[in-house]
Amino acid sequence: MQLTRIVTIVLIGCLAISCSAESALSPDVDTDDTSAPVQNAALTLPVIATPSLASINGSPDELEGKYGGILVLANRGDPPAGFDTLRTSSIALHQAAGAMFGPGNLVMRCRENMYFVCPYLATTWVSNPEFTEWTFNIRSNVYWHDGTLFTADDAKFWFELAFFGTQVGDKVRAPAYFKGELGDVAKVEVLEHEQLRITFTQRNPHFLDILANPRFKIAHPRHLMKARLEQGEMSISPMDVGLVGLGPFKLENYERGSVIRVRRFAKYWEKTAEGDPLPYLEGIDYVIVPDPFTMDVALRTGRLDGGARGQAHYITSQRKEGYDLDLGEDVFFAEIEGGNFRLAFNVLRSGPWQDSRIRRAIALWIDKRDAIHLVLGGFGWTSPDLGPTNIPMPRHFINWPKFDLGSLKEKQTEARRLMVEAGYENGFSMGHLCRALNPIPCEFLKAQLKGLGINLQLQMVDEGEWSRARISLDYDSQQGRLTPSPIPEGTESVYGRYSNNPDSYAKHEDPKVDALYQLLRDTRTFEGRVEAWRTIERYLFVEQTYVIPIAESINVVPYQAYVKGLVIPTEDAHTNTDFATVWLDK
Amino acid sequence: MIRLTWRLALIVPTVLAASIVVFVVMRVLPGDVVGIIIGDIPASSEAREALEEELGLNNPLTVQYGRWLWSMVNGEFGGRSLESRDPIRSIIGRQLPVTLMLAGYTVLLSVFVSVPLGVLAAARSGQWPDYVIRGATLGGLALPNLLVALLVILGLLIFFQWSPPIIYSSPWSNPWTHIQMLVWPALILAWEQSSHLVRVTRSSMLTALSQDYVVTARSKGLSERSIILQHGFPNARIPAVTMLGLQFGSLVSGALILETIFGLPGIGRGLVQAALARDYQVVQSLATCLVFLSLIVNLFVDTIYAYIDPRISRDS
Repeated sequence: MQLTRIVTIVLIGCLAISCSAESALSPDVDTDDTSAPVQNAALTLPVIATPSLASINGSPDELEGKYGGILVLANRGDPPAGFDTLRTSSIALHQAAGAMFGPGNLVMRCRENMYFVCPYLATTWVSNPEFTEWTFNIRSNVYWHDGTLFTADDAKFWFELAFFGTQVGDKVRAPAYFKGELGDVAKVEVLEHEQLRITFTQRNPHFLDILANPRFKIAHPRHLMKARLEQGEMSISPMDVGLVGLGPFKLENYERGSVIRVRRFAKYWEKTAEGDPLPYLEGIDYVIVPDPFTMDVALRTGRLDGGARGQAHYITSQRKEGYDLDLGEDVFFAEIEGGNFRLAFNVLRSGPWQDSRIRRAIALWIDKRDAIHLVLGGFGWTSPDLGPTNIPMPRHFINWPKFDLGSLKEKQTEARRLMVEAGYENGFSMGHLCRALNPIPCEFLKAQLKGLGINLQLQMVDEGEWSRARISLDYDSQQGRLTPSPIPEGTESVYGRYSNNPDSYAKHEDPKVDALYQLLRDTRTFEGRVEAWRTIERYLFVEQTYVIPIAESINVVPYQAYVKGLVIPTEDAHTNTDFATVWLDK
Repeated sequence: MIRLTWRLALIVPTVLAASIVVFVVMRVLPGDVVGIIIGDIPASSEAREALEEELGLNNPLTVQYGRWLWSMVNGEFGGRSLESRDPIRSIIGRQLPVTLMLAGYTVLLSVFVSVPLGVLAAARSGQWPDYVIRGATLGGLALPNLLVALLVILGLLIFFQWSPPIIYSSPWSNPWTHIQMLVWPALILAWEQSSHLVRVTRSSMLTALSQDYVVTARSKGLSERSIILQHGFPNARIPAVTMLGLQFGSLVSGALILETIFGLPGIGRGLVQAALARDYQVVQSLATCLVFLSLIVNLFVDTIYAYIDPRISRDS
């Protein structure tokens, strides 16, 4: 069974490689920008010829796109926060925002391989040797949807809004929620010749990788927002200025609760390698479908061309059978790695789980392979690590070394021994914070731990309470959230000490974790970074077992087979939501 | 007139009391709109606090309630949504017509179907039409809307490979799409509503038909049709009308579910989404609007009693 899974994964990888090898897509490069760099993610160290890890739907001879047509996609809800990309990472916004605001920032994740950084609104860039100054050449042929030219001043306005927020009198606008990820910025300057320079207080070698995060879309036109902000309208959002973006599609109309209609932006700058203008589609209708059942039915009857991205809307193997039954080969499934199913402990709360032997026993006891079918809807694989999502090596899902490779029987015997050694041979009770949106993982854990004598008491909460409780200390254990950070250092926000970040999965105050992350930051070589990350993993997941990685999930999104040119990211469903390369073969 | 004025005046403290209850319940409920807005990604506590301040959530509860109440009376209907930043006035303006149309179709369908069926069941009491009608109403009473809705959608999918449209259209912009979209939830809701109405109409008709004046009418040789329509039915209308008014609450709760399943951007779905997102302002405003509507509907029902049965007007 495991062998079948591995073979399947290898085949998927090979398919991805072959598809992307045929890809003819590249960002349009200005005549004076022929040296536009494509940089390996995460390090400015060796550029490694990694296999392409994205796939594009459509056989090679079909890659000649056709113009026209309206793509109808489900969206799981109305975008929150007035479509403000500085305020929310919600996929309800970002599935639609890619088309309106574009797939990236000054740089983007490459379509051919999302682990590389490609130019987007900047054509070229350079950093000083200390990585404290990053200078970007701003692309000269980019227009806002109202026809205004995008300039370095626009980029400066956005970065300052994101880094510093703004203040008028006693009114304050907060910086972006992701400010901490970008690094400590000293200043943002516009230089001559449409250059933008960002100066950091500390060395920031991974700034490009961080900036390529598809959540950091520029959606704030200076010429429409600046004056209103100066008048004290601090909560002004992109929605308030008509959703004027830089992406391949511009807003036609938005009927809240019903549909977002975007149509082709004629002045969009990106072109195919053959020089054909993008996007291919005439437009996209994002239909607001909060109910996954309704989405399934609408897709199976042809009212939708593609499903929504987002938890609960990703289909399970059982739901997939319904699609296969009705649509057969007329449907295909985009598979995107979607994070980890894990168990994390609040060791700041009194209980037997404060003993690392108990946590280790639980880690050894759980049958992780069972989780794939029982918890992940049949789509997933066991994994030793929670990340990093993008470690800079020719990484494949199966080549990152695993921990605990023994048989389940051996591991469970060791688990029982550890329980006895810790004085809990008769077990104990432990609370578990559980999202009512998806109780199956909690029930799986409850059933699993029963065998070890642990009575897992499920604390069912809805999304609103989950958002609060997971960053509090009001629980014994939980499952954590996503960490979309593209670099290992970024994972400190979820594995680090509680006092540094309440979002940490496991609530601990272990100073050694600080020291290990510092070691990672101080390491200058590629091999050294890999080793440092591996040390952190071993400490977090084996020696201390603050977190138990159980299995990686695959998020599956259905599309009608006539949807071609869809760039399917290997992971992180926020990526490639611009749909600029998509066309309809019908 | 004095009585009507008094009833109207009572609406104000009732709505106020309801708004306080909704406000308190929403604040007592554990949860965090800030986390919902930020999304599925770690964020610093600094970012959270700044957003809380921007949304006014760090103010004392009394201040928050006072501000919301003031915005209700000054025409802003609660200010702006915390989650979407949309003016609540425009949210209500957009969602209320959808729900009112669904409710209107439901009431029309249930009245036009259930009253004749109730009368027929009473007139043919103990015969096969009575059994058939009562059997059908049993289904409407016993089956939850959610289940019926799912079965209807699955049935349409399996037998006809068809599903209702998913992009809402108003009756003015695209009447055919509008009908295709609303007919199913309206039918499902009407089935439940009319099941109650049929039973009430039937039993009140049976009571009326056993009265002395009906026996007298029969002894005078009036036709059965004339007895039912002119003597029985006018005396059986009051319980049915009362039931119609009382059903407003269940109509709204049915709309909460069916609007979500059928993709109708009405107040029911809006309320569910807002409650899940802990969008306090929107929940308070929408719930208060529904309480107000419910009171108005019941007042209207009470008022039309007098027109249906002049004896009530004389007695009061």
